Amino acid sequence: MSPRRWIPALWLIILAGGLWFTATQLSVRSDLGDLLPEGSTTTQRLLLTQVRAGLSGRLILVALEGAPPDELARLSKLLGESLRGDGRLGFVGNGTQSWSKEEQALLFRSRYLLSRTMTADRFSESSLRAALNERLDDLRSPLAPMIKDSLPVDPTGEVLGMLQSWSGWDAPTKYRGVWMSADRARALLVAETRAAGFDADAQESIQRDIRATFQDLMKGNGIPVRLLMSGPGVFTVEIQRTIEAEAWRLSTAAAALVLCFLLLSYRSVTLVLLSLIPISSGIVAGMIAVNGWFGFVHGITLGFGITLLGVVDDYPIHLFSHMTAGGSAPVVMRTIWPTMRIGVLTTAIGFSSLLLSGYPALAQLGLLSLVGLLTAAFVTRWVLPACISQKFSPREVQPGWLPKVDQLAKGRTLVPVILVLATLALIWSDTPFWQQDLGSLSPLSDDKKQLDQRLRQELGAPDIRDLVIVEGTTAEDLLQRAESLMPKLEGLRTNGMLAGYDIVSRYLPSCRLQQERQRALPERAVLEKNLGSALEGLPYAPGLFAPFVAAVEAARSQRPLDRESFAGTMLGRKLESLMVVQQNHWVAIVPLRGVLDRRQLETAIAQWGEASASYVDLKEESNRLMTAYRDRTVQLLGWGTAAISIVLALGMPVLNLVWRVLAPIACSLVVVVAVLRGSGEPLSLFHVATFLLVIGLGLDYALFFNRVEGGEADRTRTIFGLVVCSATTILVFGVLAFSTIPVLHAIGMTAACGSLFCLFFAGVMARKDVHVA
Amino acid sequence: MTFGRIRTRWFLPLCLLLVAGHVAREAVEAMPALGDQGRDGWTVEQLVESLKEGREPSIPFEEATYSSLLTEPLIVRGVLRFLPPARLEKDVLEPYRERYVIEGDQVTFESERKGVKRTISLEDYPALRSFVEAFRASFTGDAAQLKQSYATTLEGNRRKWVLSLRPHDPAGKAIVDSILFSGSEGRIATITVRAPDGDRSVITLSRGHVP
Repeated sequence: MSPRRWIPALWLIILAGGLWFTATQLSVRSDLGDLLPEGSTTTQRLLLTQVRAGLSGRLILVALEGAPPDELARLSKLLGESLRGDGRLGFVGNGTQSWSKEEQALLFRSRYLLSRTMTADRFSESSLRAALNERLDDLRSPLAPMIKDSLPVDPTGEVLGMLQSWSGWDAPTKYRGVWMSADRARALLVAETRAAGFDADAQESIQRDIRATFQDLMKGNGIPVRLLMSGPGVFTVEIQRTIEAEAWRLSTAAAALVLCFLLLSYRSVTLVLLSLIPISSGIVAGMIAVNGWFGFVHGITLGFGITLLGVVDDYPIHLFSHMTAGGSAPVVMRTIWPTMRIGVLTTAIGFSSLLLSGYPALAQLGLLSLVGLLTAAFVTRWVLPACISQKFSPREVQPGWLPKVDQLAKGRTLVPVILVLATLALIWSDTPFWQQDLGSLSPLSDDKKQLDQRLRQELGAPDIRDLVIVEGTTAEDLLQRAESLMPKLEGLRTNGMLAGYDIVSRYLPSCRLQQERQRALPERAVLEKNLGSALEGLPYAPGLFAPFVAAVEAARSQRPLDRESFAGTMLGRKLESLMVVQQNHWVAIVPLRGVLDRRQLETAIAQWGEASASYVDLKEESNRLMTAYRDRTVQLLGWGTAAISIVLALGMPVLNLVWRVLAPIACSLVVVVAVLRGSGEPLSLFHVATFLLVIGLGLDYALFFNRVEGGEADRTRTIFGLVVCSATTILVFGVLAFSTIPVLHAIGMTAACGSLFCLFFAGVMARKDVHVA
Repeated sequence: MTFGRIRTRWFLPLCLLLVAGHVAREAVEAMPALGDQGRDGWTVEQLVESLKEGREPSIPFEEATYSSLLTEPLIVRGVLRFLPPARLEKDVLEPYRERYVIEGDQVTFESERKGVKRTISLEDYPALRSFVEAFRASFTGDAAQLKQSYATTLEGNRRKWVLSLRPHDPAGKAIVDSILFSGSEGRIATITVRAPDGDRSVITLSRGHVP
C-alpha cells in the first residue's frame, strides 16, 4: 500500500481514537479554584486555601424585594424552610434559627469557663449581692418567664451575658422574625454551600435550584417579588458563564470569518477542509496531554488554548500557498520544511515558557499549546501532504499587488520614525504601565459589585477584603495570642477605625484562661458563706440557690473546652471559619467590617508590635500575587527569547538573518505596547502571556520573509501565504478584541495588533536579495 | 441566635384590649357573639366597645409579682400609655426606670439601669405572637380565629365583669395558663396573669392620678 493511502487512513484511526478518548475519558472541570496557584508565602497559601474552600467564599447572600415587609417576611420563612431541606447547603440563615437544646445545654454546662465576665471577684459577697438584686428586678419585669428557670442555677446571668455579647454586633434587624434591611425593603437570607465558591458547576446547580424553589413559592402570587443573589459563588458562575458564552460566540464568529476568508483566498472547499486537519489533531493531542499530566482539563484552558493554537493554521496555509501545478504536495512540503521547522521549534520554546510559569492556569495552557503545536506541525509535515490528491492543483488566485509587498522594504527608513513615536507614546502616556488592580480585570458590572456591597452591609457580613491574621504553633498558642489582641481590636473599634470584627476568642477562650477562671472559682464553703451574706434581707425562697452552688463546684473540676467540644454545632461552624489549621500551623482569621482608612489601620496594627498578627488587605494581597506571576512570566519571556535566539543562531546559515528575524518582533512588541498604552490600557498578565503568541507569529512571518526562494513566482507565493496567515490571525483576534470581557479583549487586542505589526516589520526588514537565489 | 425574650405576660393582652377598644366601630360590630354572655346580656362585643369609650391616654398601674422563688411579692409602679393609632407603652417608674413599647411587630425594651435599648420581633416569640395574631384577627372581625386561639369566658354583669382568656396554642400555654381581666363598665380594674407553674402577677389600674 502506498503512503498516499495508509497515512491518511492511519491518521483517521488515530484521530478517531483520540476523539473517542476525549469524549469519554477527558475530565473537563470548571472550578476556578483549580487554576489558582499554591502561593509562595504562608499568608498567600492560607488566603488561597480560604479563597478556594473557606467559609466566606461559600456564602450566598440572598435578598427578596418588591413587596410589603409582611409578604417578604412570609416568603423569607418559606424559602428558608425549603432551602434547609437541600443537602448541598450546610446552613441557611434568615433570622429564624435559634440554639438547639443540646447547644444550650453545652453552653450552660460550660458557662463558668466560657463567660468573659468571669473574674476572681465574680462570686464575692458584694458582686453576688449586686447580681441577686438585678435578678429581683428581672423577676419584676416581663423578662421574668425567661430567667425564672435558670435563676436558681445561674444567678449571675452568665449564659445570657454570653449570648448577648455574641449576637450584639453583626445580626441584621428583624421584622416578623426574619432578617430585614433597616428600611424593610428587603428580606435577607444567607446560605452556606458545601461546595467551594469557585466550583462553578456545583454553584450553578445550587443557585438554579434556589431560583426554582423561589419561583415555586411565587406561583399564584400576584406581587412581583424579586430574588437577588450575590457572593463569591454567584460571581463565579456569572464570570464563568459570561466568559464561556462570549468566547463561544466570538470564536464562532471568528471561525466563520476565517473560513470565508480562506475560501475566498483559495476558492477551494477542499483546501479549507484540509487546513483543519493539523489544527484539529493538535487540539485533540493537546487535550489528551493536559488530561494525562494534570488529571483534568480546565474549561478555560480549553478555550484559550484553542485560541492560542490558531497559530498552527499558518502551517497548512504556507503549504497551500507554495503549491503549484508543477510540484506535488510532499515535494513542496520538503522544500518549505526547513523554514517551517525552525518556526515551529522557536514557537515551541515560546509556549514552553508558559509551562514553567508555575501558575497552574498558564501551565495547563502552555502544555496544551506546546503539544498541540508539535502535533500540528508533525501532521502538516507527514500527514497533510499525503492527504492532498496528486491531481489536485490549486488555482492561481494571487492578486497582482502582491509583488509590491516587497516594495515595503523601501520603507525601511520609516522604522526608526515609528519606533521613536512609539517610545514617545510610551513615555508620555498617563496610563500606568502595569495593571495593578486585579478587580478591573473582572467582567462583573459595577451594579453587581454594588449590590454585593449593599447586601453585605445590610447582613452585617464581612466584606471579605480586610482581615487580621494571627498565627500560632498550636491551637492553644493561637488562642492565647488571639486573646491578647482582643483589647487592641476593641480599641480600634472604639476609635472608629473599624466598625466591627469577629475573632475566635470571643467564643472560645484558651485553655490557660479557662483554667485561670477555674482556679478563681471559690470552694463550696466559701461560696456558701458569700451567698449567705449576700442573700440577707432579700426575698428569695430559702435553699433556692443550691443548684448554683453545685454547678460552681462541678465547674471547678470540669475539663476545659476546645474546638472539638463544639463540633457539629452552630458555634462549631463559626469556630471552624475563624480558626484554621494548615500543615500543623494554626491561623486565626479575624474578618473586619467597615474599615475607614486601610493605610492608617495597617500602621496602627503594625504598631502593636505583635509579630504573630498582621493586617491583610485581601485585594492588595491577590494583586500582589498576580503581580508576582506576571513578573515571573515576563522573566520567562526573556529567557524564552534568549533560547529562541540561540536556536535561530544555530539553525540559520547567516548570522545576519537572526537579527532580521528578531528585530521585527522586538519592534512590533514595542509598538504593540505603545498602542495599548496609548489606548489607555495598562498591561496585565494576560497581555504578557499573549506576547508569546505574538513572538510565535512574528518568527513565522520573519522566517518566511527571509526564506531563500527559487524565483519571482515563488516569492509571490510566500508573500501570499504570509498575507493570508496574518489576515486570518487578525480576523480571529480582532473579533476577540471586541469582547467586553477584559481578559479576552486583552488577548485579542494584543494578538491582532501584534500580528499586523509583525507582518509589517518583517516585510520592511526582510533582506532584499531573497529572490535572487 | 436570640436574646432578650421579653415575654410580656399581661402587658400585651392589655394593650390589645386597649387597641381593640380603639378599632373602628364597624369592625367591632361585625364581630359575632364570642364566648358566654354575661347575666344581663353583657357580651364581649359590648365590653370591647365600652373599653374603647372609657379609654384614657395614660393609666397609672401597680404590679405585684408572686413567685415560688420568692418569699414576698415584688412591686413595681408606673404608667401605661396608649398613643393612637397602635402604639402602646409600659413605663416603669419605680423602683427603677424601664420602658417597653409595642408597635406593630416590634417590641422595644429600654432600660436606664442596664443601659440597653433593644428591639425584638414578635415573630421570634411564638407565645407572644399567638396573642397578637388572635387579637389582630378579632380587629378584622375574624371571630373564628380568636376562638381558635382562646377559650373566652365572660362572667358577671356590666357593673362588675370578669373576662378570662385561656390559650389553646401550646406555645401560649407554655407561658400563660390564663389571663383574667376584671372591671366595671368600660374600665379595667385588675389584670391577673397566671403562669402554668402557679406564679402570677396582678396589675391594679388606678384612675385620675398620673405621677
